[in-house]
Amino acid sequence: MNEQPRTLYWIFLSLVGLVISLYVLFPVFWLFLASFKTQAELAQLPISFWPEAPTFDAYKALFSPTHQKGQLLDWPQLIGNSFFIAVSSTIIVLVFGTLAGYAFSRLNFPGRDLILGGLLISRMFQGAALLLPTYRLMSMIGLQDSLIGLVLLYSAFGLPFATWIIASSLREIPRELEESAMIDGASRLQSMVMVVLPLATPALITAAMWHFVGAWSEFAFASILLESNDHKTVTIGLASFVELFTLEFQYVGAAATIVALPIMLIFLFGQRYFTRGLLAGAVKG
Amino acid sequence: MGSVALRNIRKSYGAVEVLHGIDLDIQDGEFTVLVGPSGCGKSTLLRSIAGLETISGGDIAIDDAVINTLVPKDRDIAMVFQNYALYPHMTVAKNMGFSLRLARQSQAEIDRKVKAAAEILDLTALLDRYPRQLSGGQRQRVAMGRAIVRDPKVFLFDEPLSNLDAKLRVQMRSEIKELHQRLKTTTIYVTHDQIEAMTMADKIVVMRGGHVEQIGTPLELYDTPASVFVAGFIGSPSMNFVAASAEGGMLRIASGEVLGPVTGDVSSGREVIAGFRPEDIRLSDTGIGARVALIEPTGAETQLTLRTGDASIIMTTRDRITQSVGDTVHFSVPADKLHCFDAASELSLTNRTRPQ
Repeated sequence: MNEQPRTLYWIFLSLVGLVISLYVLFPVFWLFLASFKTQAELAQLPISFWPEAPTFDAYKALFSPTHQKGQLLDWPQLIGNSFFIAVSSTIIVLVFGTLAGYAFSRLNFPGRDLILGGLLISRMFQGAALLLPTYRLMSMIGLQDSLIGLVLLYSAFGLPFATWIIASSLREIPRELEESAMIDGASRLQSMVMVVLPLATPALITAAMWHFVGAWSEFAFASILLESNDHKTVTIGLASFVELFTLEFQYVGAAATIVALPIMLIFLFGQRYFTRGLLAGAVKG
Repeated sequence: MGSVALRNIRKSYGAVEVLHGIDLDIQDGEFTVLVGPSGCGKSTLLRSIAGLETISGGDIAIDDAVINTLVPKDRDIAMVFQNYALYPHMTVAKNMGFSLRLARQSQAEIDRKVKAAAEILDLTALLDRYPRQLSGGQRQRVAMGRAIVRDPKVFLFDEPLSNLDAKLRVQMRSEIKELHQRLKTTTIYVTHDQIEAMTMADKIVVMRGGHVEQIGTPLELYDTPASVFVAGFIGSPSMNFVAASAEGGMLRIASGEVLGPVTGDVSSGREVIAGFRPEDIRLSDTGIGARVALIEPTGAETQLTLRTGDASIIMTTRDRITQSVGDTVHFSVPADKLHCFDAASELSLTNRTRPQ
């Protein structure tokens, strides 16, 4: 391909990307703008794009108990619950996913590949198919309407994929690095912690991000398992607006922005780990 | 101090035995090279000594203490890997000091030892760099530095030069040899390159198919190979072999011509393989007739390919060649340069003294 068509091709691809991005991002941006508008402005015609007099009233209402009216939920509590669930289950998934991933990538045991394949199969079930049996199970063991119950449930759902990601990344790390560490005087655990895991950082961060985002934004299981208001999560809070304040979109916009914020920050922070060639220089290359 | 003794080492993967009872004694301070074609078990043997493989039978002893069941870190050995195996997330200094840090030595002590090793290896300017910022030769030196800071009983090298280009390989070869002469640490070095083995070793162990084929100094192996395999493996270009039969004390080749006197204890009528090195061939007026098939001058010497019957004979000479391709020549081999090998067992009939 010579210069001219390649440039045209690049321009074409960029345009397609731009159109898709606009299409996807516009509603998000629209909601974000709505959070700074008043209810009157939202209702008026013709529609104004930018807020005429930007206001933080909607955010204040979410965070101040005095503004809360009717069944508007306690947002600091919702955010706290969601953080607790997402962070705890991410830690569980990372710890066990790392140990399991290490075992799958380094140790030989009967049925290893079968089990690793089985982990992937568990990803093929649609969550909806599991809703009822899960509810029955959690009720039986007394973990319905419990944050701990949700932490355990999310961890169980998240572990197979995290294990898979971590195991495949550990496989890429040359065995000689560990052997070298063991000759240098490290135990297996030391060589794993001091040599292998630092090199697997991108995979660990990827797995953690993936799981955190999933746990933070999970709705279906949270909504059927959590009943009391002080156990609810941000996604339930968001859904409750739709029922209660159909017309008050400034609240929906403000809450949606708050819920999206951690996820955006996580991706901004985590992005550089995808591009960092940590393994460069380890072996010939 | 670090003498190594291997007694009847066996190693199996499932039903497949890859080391069939290796016996080897390495003196303290000796530079021993394990050499052989790929799959001969040399790396497996080295890794067994390191403790990275568990042996299925036999004893490994360092300084008379059997270490079969010790984990690598307790064997007091250091190893340089083929791909260097530097820790990519650590600087050169951290890489070299890693073992000392694990041994809980003080930071001052670690700094002192790392600095000393860096000076020996000319790495002082690179101590703060990361492995990815180094060239192949520098990485190789860091890998060696990591080994020498520990002052172990034994150095193990697993094909350390095979990832370097030809010129650097020659340079690192001399560096490793000089380093050994300076430190006098017992060294076991694995390579498939017979030139590396010849140039570096005090003692060469030629391996083949999980057996030790022959043990000796480089020149012992060159001058008195115990088998066709060793004779062909050591030396480049390799030894010429022709089928011959012993008749009345003379070696007669297929064409009926006489190559020379039988060397060693060979009964008349026995089928043998006669071997002679390219540089021992002399062009003469009499002797075996051959046609010049190829002339390859390299400057210092010239390599000729001669055809006699269906055999190709390689000869090298430092003389300038006046013949041209297609000419008929005659060649002979001095009697003391002829080797006889049994046609069936391929063992030497000339050199009965097999070390060990």
